[in-house]
Amino acid sequence: MWIILSGIDGNLAAYEAVMADIKRQRYVDALYILGDLVGPTKECEQLIARVKSPRRGELQPIICKGWWEEQCLNLHGLGPSGNVPDLLAKYGGDTVKMLWDSVSRQTVQWLRNLDFGFFELDCLLIHGSTVGVSDELTPETPPIQMLDRLSRMQANNLFCGRSGLTFQYQLQGGSVTSEVTTLDHQISPQTTTITPRQIIGVGNVGRNPGEATYTIYNPGSNQVKFKKVTYGNSKGFKLY
Amino acid sequence: MKIAVISCIHGNYEALDAVLLDIDQQKAEKIFCVGDLVGYGPHPNAVISQIRSLDIPTCVGCWDEDIVEGLNACDCSYPSLLAEKRGLQAHEWTNQEVHPENREFLANLPYSLQWKNLAFVHGSPHSNHEYLLPEIDAFTALERVLSTGADTLFCGHTHVPYVRTLNTGNIQATVDSQTISQEISFTSPVKRIINVGSVGEPRHGRPNATYVIYDDETQAVSLREVTYNYQKTCAAIIEKGLPKIFAWRLSQGLEFAEKADDPTHVCTR
Repeated sequence: MWIILSGIDGNLAAYEAVMADIKRQRYVDALYILGDLVGPTKECEQLIARVKSPRRGELQPIICKGWWEEQCLNLHGLGPSGNVPDLLAKYGGDTVKMLWDSVSRQTVQWLRNLDFGFFELDCLLIHGSTVGVSDELTPETPPIQMLDRLSRMQANNLFCGRSGLTFQYQLQGGSVTSEVTTLDHQISPQTTTITPRQIIGVGNVGRNPGEATYTIYNPGSNQVKFKKVTYGNSKGFKLY
Repeated sequence: MKIAVISCIHGNYEALDAVLLDIDQQKAEKIFCVGDLVGYGPHPNAVISQIRSLDIPTCVGCWDEDIVEGLNACDCSYPSLLAEKRGLQAHEWTNQEVHPENREFLANLPYSLQWKNLAFVHGSPHSNHEYLLPEIDAFTALERVLSTGADTLFCGHTHVPYVRTLNTGNIQATVDSQTISQEISFTSPVKRIINVGSVGEPRHGRPNATYVIYDDETQAVSLREVTYNYQKTCAAIIEKGLPKIFAWRLSQGLEFAEKADDPTHVCTR
């Protein structure tokens, strides 16, 4: 079994709640975190330390970059863009400052070395999509776009976290007929078909206070299961 | 109404002149250009000035972008390391040559154009470095057209013209989420990709300039091949001190494509 998380967003209490829930699962082989580990929160550094040092019986997480990691790198001049227009537009200047204050330079260097995504068996595990960390796939994304994102890496299963939603989007079949004319030839019509494949939104751990979601995947049977964990004082779960 | 679509002129004024004459003879009423006015060829300023003077709606090509923003071509933009080295030489020469007002013109070119139900881009709607080759997966080709909202997508960049018609595209899907659980049946009407080839640096095996005439009422497409005095351009390439192999490949209508060191390289730029 693989456990797949995303969108912790610097929420330590949510991460602890999910890790406690994972301990109840059996036959776990791998723990993936598909980005957005950090966020503009005071406990961000504590969270990073916790993730980097798993407790007894916990797996070492396999982590890739997410949208928040890219914002951090951009803020420090280490990302693909020299500024953070998306972050500013979406959250404002206070959040930019909070993120700057919450993530140390040492942590930024560590974030810099994270992978863009992982390809394991026929599964692509990534924060946004094959297009980039900002690419948000949702249940409303058109099938042709979903197929494109899968085809770019020739994956049969794409696990993503950008939307924060849990969903299972299965492409069951399809076809298109294509005819090409060049200066010298006319190639007779050819039909291309697709085989079943799927996109899975893995949920989010820390975005919604009091409620975390994550995904369990069985690569042997191709079964997907979504888990919801409630936490916080009112739910009788405490961080200590 | 007949329109003409041209691309990849690459500083070859002789070829542009011949193509403009042919367009006139074909009685096309409007011309669109999908970029790469400069690079490789010996007359970048003359080409830009001609496009400007005729007020031809033009979108930006990858070579035009590089002259404005600085070289941004990943090594995967070239078929080999030697080709990349020559490309760098051509970029530096062109960068020195282009007049400030022409650079300004290139800087203001849009990424894409839309006219009626037609879309125009240099490489693909997603990247000016993406090659929409005729053999790419049909669903990928369909997605590129659909992403523009148009029925027909005109592009260049590969330097080899073709028309690809995509019929009866359909996908069946099911979606299960917290909010919806539904079956989706996606169907697409007929869509087309028309690659207009290259005016000034053809790669279809002959030295002739290529472009496209399209009739927006009948949807008829004509892939045009125009002969011109390419030897004159070849002589100018050598005279201006550009790599001699540019003259050779222009005379052959081929890219001199040595095997790339790492053909598996995937551009993550």
